[in-house]
Amino acid sequence: MKHVRVGLVVPSSNVTVETELPAILGRHPAATFSFHSSRMRMATVSPEQLAAMNAQRERCVLELGDADPDVILYACLVALMSVGPGEHQRVESLVAEQLAAGGARARVRSSAGALVEALRALPARRIALVTPYLRPLAEKVVRYLTAEGFEVADWRALEVADNRAVGCIPGDRVMAAAESLDLAGVDALVISACVQMPSLSLVEPAEQRFGLPVVSAATAGAYSILRAAGLPLAVDGAGAMLRGDAAVVGAV
Amino acid sequence: MTLRLFVLDVPENTAVAEVAGRDLNVAVTRLGPYFVIESADTFSIDRRSTGCRHAVWYSCVAGLAGCQITQFDKDALRLEAR
Amino acid sequence: MKDLSKQHLVRGVDHAAFPTFDPAATVRFYRDVLGFPVVHSICAAGWGPENHPDFIHFFFDIGNDDRIAFFYYFGLPQPPSLGKGDVYARFDPNTPDFFVRSRHLAIHVDSERHLLEYRRRLDASEWPVEMQIQHETIESIYTHDPNGYMVEITRALRPVTPQEDLDANLTIDALVDIVDRPGASLDDLLTRKAELIVERAAAWQEQQERLVESPEGPVHA
Repeated sequence: MKHVRVGLVVPSSNVTVETELPAILGRHPAATFSFHSSRMRMATVSPEQLAAMNAQRERCVLELGDADPDVILYACLVALMSVGPGEHQRVESLVAEQLAAGGARARVRSSAGALVEALRALPARRIALVTPYLRPLAEKVVRYLTAEGFEVADWRALEVADNRAVGCIPGDRVMAAAESLDLAGVDALVISACVQMPSLSLVEPAEQRFGLPVVSAATAGAYSILRAAGLPLAVDGAGAMLRGDAAVVGAV
Repeated sequence: MTLRLFVLDVPENTAVAEVAGRDLNVAVTRLGPYFVIESADTFSIDRRSTGCRHAVWYSCVAGLAGCQITQFDKDALRLEAR
Repeated sequence: MKDLSKQHLVRGVDHAAFPTFDPAATVRFYRDVLGFPVVHSICAAGWGPENHPDFIHFFFDIGNDDRIAFFYYFGLPQPPSLGKGDVYARFDPNTPDFFVRSRHLAIHVDSERHLLEYRRRLDASEWPVEMQIQHETIESIYTHDPNGYMVEITRALRPVTPQEDLDANLTIDALVDIVDRPGASLDDLLTRKAELIVERAAAWQEQQERLVESPEGPVHA
């Protein structure tokens, strides 16, 4: 059985990434995963705190490099998208350069890039989002995804500023926000465009409820990691996208 | 047997061709962008008369046909039959 | 799609890299004395199979978006400074200076005024100009950086002419023709070059005259 070591660069107050990603990937029939985190200090999702957090990136990558991971996921979405279009590619390049300079072989992904990658793979062009952010930050996320070529048909901002509180938003509040969206002509629903807002248990019910592919920042991150590791999409209970290759695995 | 010295026609080198040509036994013609400095017998070019700086002087020879350099110093460039 | 096979596509020096054991002095020399901005840095550890210290790789702009870069390895002991050379390469004390100096970086400036400005900056520093020389068509100043690397700053005394382009190519063609002969000398090169001049110079001249009459774009000799 293949073993994949996943390095995670997480905002320090984030607990959801380290809960949901292992829960998703732990279900994979053909591989085992271990998760190794380095933290960037951040409490409030504000532009100032986000800028300070990005500056710690070099230290985090240095720490994770020592563990020789197979893939490193820069697990923040709004930290990248709030800077402006093209930011996830720029940061992924810098992390890759840092790793390459030291001869590390880890692949580099980011949650922002993973969301784009997963939506394109579905394929989805017209999308709807639920975010926990204050409106100005949510608007930046919408602008970022629009610049990547998506049409954001409708979106919600739950306006929770404290990142610790975002980690505690109850599922029915997220689902209610999703219910309120106008999903006419939408190809996919992003039930959580945030790595801290818990949403894993909502993905399957939302797919049943809305009859649409549903992804979250976490399931997109898992998608990207599986692709980077060359593993089939054969995870149950986390949405149709992650079951994409299940028939192939069954046949083996 | 003709002795032929080739010198590239660039501003720093024109004095070399001009001084060489003052010798009645030396003919200066052109081949493309090169001066062809020709004589039936041994000839020399006096460096000081050319006014060339050392760096220019020591790099002014582009080609040699039928001759070899027997003196090339701060005083003169001297060509003799091979 | 345009065929790339005949095109000269490269864009200069992404970086010329050197090790240093004194990054503070290196920064003082390039950034503070010469005014070359720091444009990039990478902090990394040695994660490959070799036993490799943590290091910083840092870059100074040397004009035209070209860069000089240094590696500083934490805790790497500096080799003893025996003989001649720099922190990268040491030579036996009997090695001729012309050979030791043969590898160096020369950086271009556009005018005498600019050359003299860099002269002024170096002369006011711990690393004054050691030599100022006029070559055939260029004028240069030289010093050694804190690592012992020789740095030249140079200006052209006049623009390069097309015939020098031809001449350079004939020199190289002659060199390649004779260099593998045992005992090959400059005399052999000049003799071979004369043959190439006779072969090619007249035709080159005619081509140049045709270009002047109807310019079609750059043609290399």
